[in-house]
Amino acid sequence: MSAEPVPSGSVIVAEGLWRTYVMGTEEIHALRGVSFTIEHGEYLAIMGPSGSGKSTLMNLIGCLDTPSRGRYVLQGKVVSEMDDDELAGIRNREIGFVFQTFNLLPRATALHNVELPLVYAGVPREERIERAREALERVDLGDRITHKPNELSGGQRQRVAVARALVMGPSILLADEPTGNLDTVTGTEIMHLFETLHERGDATIILVTHENEIAEHAQRTIHIRDGQIERDERKGA
Amino acid sequence: MPFKEAIAVALHSLRANKLRSFLTVLGILIGVSSVIAVVAITEGLDRYISDQVLALGSRSFRLQKQPDIITSNDEWSEMIKRKRLDLRDFETVQRACSLCADVGASMSTSATVKRGRLRQKSVRVMGITEAIPRIGAVRDLDQGRQLVPEDIEASRRVAVIGVDLVEALFGSVDPMGKQIDVDGHRLKVVGVAEKKGSVFGASQDNFIWTPITTFRKLYGPRNSITIQAEAASMADFEAAQDQVRMAMRNRRHLTYREKDDFAIETGESIMELWQTATRGLYVVTLVVTAISLLIGGIVVMNIMLVSVTERIQEIGIRKALGARRGDILRQFLVESVVLSGFGGLLGVLGAAAISLGLAAVLGGMMGLDFSAPVRPWAVTLALAVSSVVGLVAGIYPASRAAALDPVDALRKE
Repeated sequence: MSAEPVPSGSVIVAEGLWRTYVMGTEEIHALRGVSFTIEHGEYLAIMGPSGSGKSTLMNLIGCLDTPSRGRYVLQGKVVSEMDDDELAGIRNREIGFVFQTFNLLPRATALHNVELPLVYAGVPREERIERAREALERVDLGDRITHKPNELSGGQRQRVAVARALVMGPSILLADEPTGNLDTVTGTEIMHLFETLHERGDATIILVTHENEIAEHAQRTIHIRDGQIERDERKGA
Repeated sequence: MPFKEAIAVALHSLRANKLRSFLTVLGILIGVSSVIAVVAITEGLDRYISDQVLALGSRSFRLQKQPDIITSNDEWSEMIKRKRLDLRDFETVQRACSLCADVGASMSTSATVKRGRLRQKSVRVMGITEAIPRIGAVRDLDQGRQLVPEDIEASRRVAVIGVDLVEALFGSVDPMGKQIDVDGHRLKVVGVAEKKGSVFGASQDNFIWTPITTFRKLYGPRNSITIQAEAASMADFEAAQDQVRMAMRNRRHLTYREKDDFAIETGESIMELWQTATRGLYVVTLVVTAISLLIGGIVVMNIMLVSVTERIQEIGIRKALGARRGDILRQFLVESVVLSGFGGLLGVLGAAAISLGLAAVLGGMMGLDFSAPVRPWAVTLALAVSSVVGLVAGIYPASRAAALDPVDALRKE
């Protein structure tokens, strides 16, 4: 595996991103002019202490939010100018989320949880079930598809979440503290799963974390502090 | 999200909160079941009344001194002044009404009838002409013979009796040819009428027929008689009434400006009265229903707001995965409609139970064939109205859910 991924066009181009919140009369700048590009197939970590603005940056990358200023281009599309419904479509097709708290629907089975993005993409039922089953098999949960989240271990839940994130074949997999709610062993297991996915070239992976050990799995780490990029390191570059 | 998915999600959350869902839709349940039940009961009563009233004969009508229903004091004082109808009026009508198949006359009173130490109270004693049993609801005999013109001409002391009297006075003894005592007068039983059962709990078999001439001897000629006529055909019904009306007006020398000083009653006029009464019932039901549906809608809206608040995180997850505003809006609207539609459905079942129960109670109590049919149109309307209530009640909660910011919603624990 080469250390430098072959650039096949930028997945993300961020230019001078600002995100400002108004709290009463005060303006809080969570991000102050952040610029970077991410190439296809990269495995990258965004690191920073809490309050650094990394969550805000993650929301922007994940198209859950739009910048107050600056330009955010994802797969050649200018996301920063999109409305709510267009953002929803982009999230559906281009982004696979993995959250710290898994964020599975508690009353739905593993299969149905994985099916959800396909539902919103308007995929017909039979195809949906087929693709959701395949996605679960890819994370070694083919035998747990009818289980509900509370019948699964933490590691299994996070693997369901990974299957859900991958089922639409997104251009980026965005993981927010994916091991934060897991013990060390299961955490390692999940990180191993990410590595496998990366080696297979399934997606561009972006980890958001405050833990060094987790960030070390990535080939590139962007350090955020006080709403700005402090360092952009490439491993073995 | 496709519609089918939204319905599946809605049913799922309905099932997950069974008791809450049931309590939520109580108001709608009550509203819907009351409207269907009242419609069914009124229709059942309508049918029952018309069966009974029209059993009087759809072609028959009555000429009376005064109408069946008097609605004011003024009317009452006018009625008092009216001339009574007598047997000469009967003869006039009989001659004049060429379109009448039959014309008869009757008068009646209530009496205690005795045989030895046995007695039957509140017997309807009717003095009739021989045509009366043929007019309207034809009354055949079980035993013996009908009254004949000779009985009337000769004022014979004979009687045809109802089965209630047979049971009360004779038991297993054959009543034919036996004497009975009507208010101290002796009459010979010549016939027994077939059983008719009861209407609104009043027996139709507790009566005596005696010649109208005999009746006048027993009770005096002072009371007004009722003249009953049957038109030869349905087509002649109105014309026959007009013949009778004109004959009476001529006889009474009424100018064209004067109103009738007698009354002609048909089964229809009683039906009209009944329908006026039920219209009032409908209005009351409508108001009750509207109120309970309004309250039901408010409850549904409240619960939908609770449901949205409880599921903010779910909404966040769905939005992160690509749900558009419209998807979330539709999901909660469908849930609200399904919830109150479910209430409507329970209401329909409730109404069916009420109707069946009532039919059973009335049927059992009065021994009659009463049914309160739950109409498909009433069911459809009830489901449609409850769904609309759900839709309206769901708009605000659903649009709140749809407007949630995904970042805020996801952060909510």
